[in-house]
Amino acid sequence: MSGVSKTSVLVEEGGNQFRKRSHLSSNNDQCSKRTKFDDMSANEKKSNFSMLNPNSNGTIKMTSSSMNKPGAATKKLVIKNFKSKPNLPENYQETTWSKLREAVIAIQTSKAIAYSLEELYQAVENMCSHKMASQLYVNLTNLVEAHVKSNIEQFLSESMDRQVFLKRMDDCWRAHCRQMIMIRSIFLYLDRTYVLQNPSIHSIWDMGLDLFRHHIAMNTLIQTRTVDGLLLLIERERGGDAVDISLLKSLLRMLSDLQIYQDAFEHKFLQATERLYAAEGQRLMRELAVPQYLAHVEKRLREENERLLHYLDPCTKWQLIHTIERQLLSEHLTGILSKGLESLMDGPRLHDLTTLYNLFSRVKELGLNELCNHFNAYIKKKGRTIVIEPERDKTMVAELLEFKEQLDNVVSTCFQRNDRFLYSMREAFEYFINQRQNKPAELIAKFVDLKLRAGNKEATEEELERLLDKIMVLFRFIHGKDVFEAFYKKDLAKRLLVGKSASVDAEKSMLSKLKQECGGGFTCKLEGMFKDMELSKDINITYKQHLAASQEGVGLELSVYILTMGFWPTYPPVEVRLPAELTRHQDHFAKFYLAKHSGRKLQWQATLGHCVLRAHFSQGNKELQVSLFQALVLLLFNDGDNLSFEEIKTATNIEEGELRRTLQSLACGKARVLLKAPRGRDVQDDDHFSFHADFTNKLFRIKINQIQMKETSEEQKATEERVFQDRQYQIDAAIVRVMKMRKALSHNLLISELYNQLKFPVKPADLKKRIESLIDRDYMERDKDNPNQYNYVA
Amino acid sequence: MSGEDCESFDRGDADGQKPDKMFTLKKWNAVAMWSWDVECDTCAICRVQVMDACLRCQGESKKDSYGKQDCVVVWGECNHSFHFCCMSLWVKQNNRCPLCQQEWSIQRMGK
Ligand SMILES: [Zn+2]
Ligand SMILES: [Zn+2]
Ligand SMILES: [Zn+2]
Repeated sequence: MSGVSKTSVLVEEGGNQFRKRSHLSSNNDQCSKRTKFDDMSANEKKSNFSMLNPNSNGTIKMTSSSMNKPGAATKKLVIKNFKSKPNLPENYQETTWSKLREAVIAIQTSKAIAYSLEELYQAVENMCSHKMASQLYVNLTNLVEAHVKSNIEQFLSESMDRQVFLKRMDDCWRAHCRQMIMIRSIFLYLDRTYVLQNPSIHSIWDMGLDLFRHHIAMNTLIQTRTVDGLLLLIERERGGDAVDISLLKSLLRMLSDLQIYQDAFEHKFLQATERLYAAEGQRLMRELAVPQYLAHVEKRLREENERLLHYLDPCTKWQLIHTIERQLLSEHLTGILSKGLESLMDGPRLHDLTTLYNLFSRVKELGLNELCNHFNAYIKKKGRTIVIEPERDKTMVAELLEFKEQLDNVVSTCFQRNDRFLYSMREAFEYFINQRQNKPAELIAKFVDLKLRAGNKEATEEELERLLDKIMVLFRFIHGKDVFEAFYKKDLAKRLLVGKSASVDAEKSMLSKLKQECGGGFTCKLEGMFKDMELSKDINITYKQHLAASQEGVGLELSVYILTMGFWPTYPPVEVRLPAELTRHQDHFAKFYLAKHSGRKLQWQATLGHCVLRAHFSQGNKELQVSLFQALVLLLFNDGDNLSFEEIKTATNIEEGELRRTLQSLACGKARVLLKAPRGRDVQDDDHFSFHADFTNKLFRIKINQIQMKETSEEQKATEERVFQDRQYQIDAAIVRVMKMRKALSHNLLISELYNQLKFPVKPADLKKRIESLIDRDYMERDKDNPNQYNYVA
Repeated sequence: MSGEDCESFDRGDADGQKPDKMFTLKKWNAVAMWSWDVECDTCAICRVQVMDACLRCQGESKKDSYGKQDCVVVWGECNHSFHFCCMSLWVKQNNRCPLCQQEWSIQRMGK
């Protein structure tokens, strides 16, 4: 770089050299690039110009209001090295220096300079060329120092308005910069030669900064007043007052340029920020509802980011934002959540939840962790109330579906489908839904029945399909899947036997969903029920052909559903007295069937039978669709009228309660084909019944519904009981299945495989018992060398 | 014949049928449950109900089979009954009925 002194330097002076003061600040904007110096002495050579824009090497734009020679403005100034050193007069150094001194003082006092810039420049160059540079530098430094010192006084007066003080400081700083730019341009040659060649010497600009820093900025009183003033201004601005932003900006730039921004200002500023927001957080958490509080935090973060943009040094950003996050969020994570999450979720207030998530995700792991924990607790708490109260059983499944949908919506629109939340939601559902044993499984099964039953016109095939998928999601959470199966089976049986199923496709679809979820072992009995229905159809066709060939059974059309015991729910055996004709038909069919299937026996299920009766009323004939019990009662009236309750009971042998309900349906319902004396809704022991000959109805074909006995809790208990008994067989079968496949397996591996296969909760002790039992029965044995290993016995 | 009667809606009594009976049974949809005609519900060899497939067959867990259709019951001359699968394995070691110790011979098979 020493070559610089040998080359010609072109100083270009544009026409805009007489800039207004305001240009100074715009010039300032361009120099936002700043370098940080940890150690001043190590960086002496680097100029720290924020007021000066060295847009290209050697070209300096003069910015001055004190330049008073407009004629020179458009002139290009070309400076060349001397070819040879001229001889100098004796007093050259003194006269030249006094000329330069005069010019510097004129600049410092905003007076006109008596010499042309060219002349001054030449003077500096001449002095440098004649080894006077060192003295020149010392003289200049003294001159600048004297001027800087003269400025101290104005900042020390006892009482001064802070605003006035800051303004004065800003003026002083701007003037200093302006002067130093001009001085530097005159002494440019000194900078380019002497300063460059002496690493320990400050550039003229830095020398100016150093003096300003040393005498003014580092003066304890002045610095305190400046920084306190700035902090007060910022505090007022944060409080909503309009303040002079450009003043703030300029003075903060000054601190940065003087490299005391961090030491003198930033630390105090962050402390003030911390205090302000700590207090604000405490206060607003008490005063505001959570949505308002969150909106406020968002607003504060936005404002502080603007503050960074407008006047703070960007290096403060991380600490500033972090401080706000800490005081307004981190400190209040639990407070915000326990105060507001529930009502936000209940809404659900999607917009506020999004804000909540976004703000909490700022607080790294901790924020989302807390949110997720509270989210989980909320689901468990609310879910439990849906599931646990027997009064809500009627709406439990619909409420669960709605709850799940709402949560899905929140997680996908507000929580960015965050896996952690999805997982947590599943965990929470599984937890609370199993808080109540069996009932949710039972009600889910009932809910499906309602949707699969004929007459459910509210949904199209696709809607039904989607609904079934949603129900499967709930089903997945249920631990006692076999409880579901038991209740599902009961309802499926009803749908199949009464022909009440809405759609075979929907039935099959549900079955395949269950199979997919739980495996073939889970659904094989349900599938067996469908198979029974198909086989029954075939048997009835064959039977009809058989009857046609043998000329028997004319008059009554009998069809029989043959159900495989074990596939279907168990029904309590009911013995009733059938008229001779019916017994004859029944026996005839049984003979036919058992001839085809040796080794079987049939058990007739009177409760499930249905009949079509032709009834002859005085107003015309009707066709009645009735249950077997209803038919048995009605048929009695062919042989006698006016029968007592007791007589009917003896003749049919129908269980008393069942008979009461049957008579109620025939004599007290919508279609009263019997008359009861005395009248009344309930059937009493001494009531009498007679044929209602004058019965009329618009319709020809009339269905008389059997009054269903409400499913008693005993019956439900019995179903559950059977489920629990069945679990033992399921465990045995699973153990044999696993052992048959793996041949040899350690105890622990066997247990873990079993947990994968079994669709209900089991205790390890129960599994152990079943293993012992299978060892007793020679299905497997303990390994002779390793007691922890089992071998399959073929 | 009689079945067709039920399908016609407006058939009055014009055919001169005497209403000596107020109710005539036209159709009967009966339901019956079948099971193996056995004295004891449980197979003494595998201790699983004979209506269910024996443990080994359940272990097969054939995905599309309808449970025990192919795991039938066998009766001995002594009238004791077991899963056919279970008995087939049993007789390989001991050709006697596990319940009464009579020599085993098959009386009939379930179908
Ligand atoms: Zn067996
Ligand atoms: Zn078998
Ligand atoms: Zn025997």
